[in-house]
Amino acid sequence: MIDHFALSQAFGLLFTSIEPWLWVIPGLLIGLIFGSIPGLQISMAMAVFLPVTFGMDFLQAMLFLTAIFTGGAYGGGVTAILMNIPGSSSSIATAFDGYPMARQGKHNEALGLGLAASVIGAFVGYILLLLLINPLATLVLKIGPMEMVVVVLWGLTLIATLNDGSLSKGLLAGFFGLMLSQIGMSTTGVMRTTVGNPHLLDGIPVVPAMIGIFAASELLRLRGSSYLVQDEAQRDISFGRILRGVGETFRYPGVLIRGSLIGAVIGAIPGVGSSVANLVSYGEAKRTSRTPETFGKGAPEGVIAAESANSSSEGGSMTALLALGIPGGAATAVLLAAFSFHNIIGGPSFIRNQTDVVYSIILGNLGQVVLLAVIGLMMLRVLGMVVRVPLAYLVPSVLAMCAWGGYGITGTIAGPLTVAAFAAVGWLMRRNDYPVAAAVIGLLLGRMMEGELVRTLQISNGQPLNYLLERPMALGLFVFMVIVLVGAPLLKTLRQRKVQQVEN
Amino acid sequence: MTTRFPATHAALLGIVFAASGFILWSAVSASASLNNLVVAVPVAAVLGILVLLVIAGTFRKPVDESAKTGVWGDLLLLAGFAAFCFALTHIGFDVATFVFVWAGVVMSGGRGLWQPPLYAALFTVLLVKGFGSLFPYPMLTLVL
Repeated sequence: MIDHFALSQAFGLLFTSIEPWLWVIPGLLIGLIFGSIPGLQISMAMAVFLPVTFGMDFLQAMLFLTAIFTGGAYGGGVTAILMNIPGSSSSIATAFDGYPMARQGKHNEALGLGLAASVIGAFVGYILLLLLINPLATLVLKIGPMEMVVVVLWGLTLIATLNDGSLSKGLLAGFFGLMLSQIGMSTTGVMRTTVGNPHLLDGIPVVPAMIGIFAASELLRLRGSSYLVQDEAQRDISFGRILRGVGETFRYPGVLIRGSLIGAVIGAIPGVGSSVANLVSYGEAKRTSRTPETFGKGAPEGVIAAESANSSSEGGSMTALLALGIPGGAATAVLLAAFSFHNIIGGPSFIRNQTDVVYSIILGNLGQVVLLAVIGLMMLRVLGMVVRVPLAYLVPSVLAMCAWGGYGITGTIAGPLTVAAFAAVGWLMRRNDYPVAAAVIGLLLGRMMEGELVRTLQISNGQPLNYLLERPMALGLFVFMVIVLVGAPLLKTLRQRKVQQVEN
Repeated sequence: MTTRFPATHAALLGIVFAASGFILWSAVSASASLNNLVVAVPVAAVLGILVLLVIAGTFRKPVDESAKTGVWGDLLLLAGFAAFCFALTHIGFDVATFVFVWAGVVMSGGRGLWQPPLYAALFTVLLVKGFGSLFPYPMLTLVL
């Protein structure tokens, strides 16, 4: 599985000089800053700093850009925990339990949980990449639209579990999001609901909508309070409590490992990646938990499941890039651009002829993960200060940043106006106990679902079920999904009945 | 105070119903092919049923509205936020941000005569010079 000679050469490339590591810490800091400011995307940071890599050698450039990627993935989780603002779609599920923990005064523990889960998740993702890059690449090539439909469907099932109070409200929110995803040009080029507005051609911009519905609506609700954490004694930024959160992560090894594996596998699927991985992982953690009722109210497992999956998906997303030369998302597309600047073409020949370089990129990323743990711990003390800012000042400031973030993504007035419109919808939803996250999941996955469904219909000549039977991988995934969705709750009910019988 | 159907809930369901109806109508009139309606039609059908279910559920269980206060304050800040979003590209990012943050701090309970405008000014400068410099797009400013 591992070419030992190439591995020893990779160690030589990485550790005979300090040069490859010079830009790793600045990269992590840039990523953390971009990731933790709503509206600044990781891919944007990578693109902004891409010209800096012109003067670097290939390995140094790769480590710098992937350090931004690694830092940014964690930075998005920090604002999701502290302010209910997921920095990107891959941190949506982190906010579900991280933010309630912060509001209960457990922000130190939540940040520690998030950091440890991110570090372990990214570590597992890159170890898997190191061991399985060739088989994973073969797997990625076998994935077609039918398999994507099943994976996206799996992500969508989370909608049904998001509202404990009323299933119909959770479903309504999710289906409303799905309906909104139908605005704009369809996969087949048909214009729908654009009302003559060119800004709607590509549909509703998801990230500004997410910022509005999550953050702005929550900020409006916070207006009456004095601080994010009401109890003054709980507002401390305690290194000890952050470390306690780090330690607590290891009390849930099953959640941690499952989240990391889900992230690595789903992350390897081009176009789906971390946006779905964190949702599927969160959904599975909730479904298999002994205390599912605590999810959404500050359950540590929720934070661990989401953060481990979105971090390990980073390793997964590198599979398609390194082994096939296919970018799985915007961030890996920037990495591919860096490849071309250095006259390198990703794909099977790259792995075959420059195995040492591939291994050194993967090993370098493992080193970055260790550095993230140190840098993250230092930065958390600064980022956590937000709980000490009076809400009278924090609310309008973050609202202003939300609108700016909307502009930063679209470059037009459409971004801020989307933030405002979704802030209003989010406020109405929260006021009437609808889960806003369900609407975001619907909006995010609806378009993906439609595209893959249409491709499946076209390939199968309108016979998707017959086509499913011809695709062993899709069928296997589908059966596995049904077993997990139906089997796990069924087993739990049977177990509870047995316990009740024994007690009686 | 309990109420059968709060006005905010009616407004939300009205928005869901109107938006979904319009999207469905627009999709069907654009093209009635299966590829175009594969998501829109089933989703709209389920949404219709869900709206009815939620309305029926709401009439069964009256909602306690007394715990939820501050509708008008929230609406005022929301309207201010919408106006601010619109003003960004019309009067300039700097002036719009300064005015919104100042007014927002006062509305959210910030005390003192000089602290809110001073904070708003410092925050605006920081945002324009820091955040703004990272934007890959042109940004309209009036003063800075």
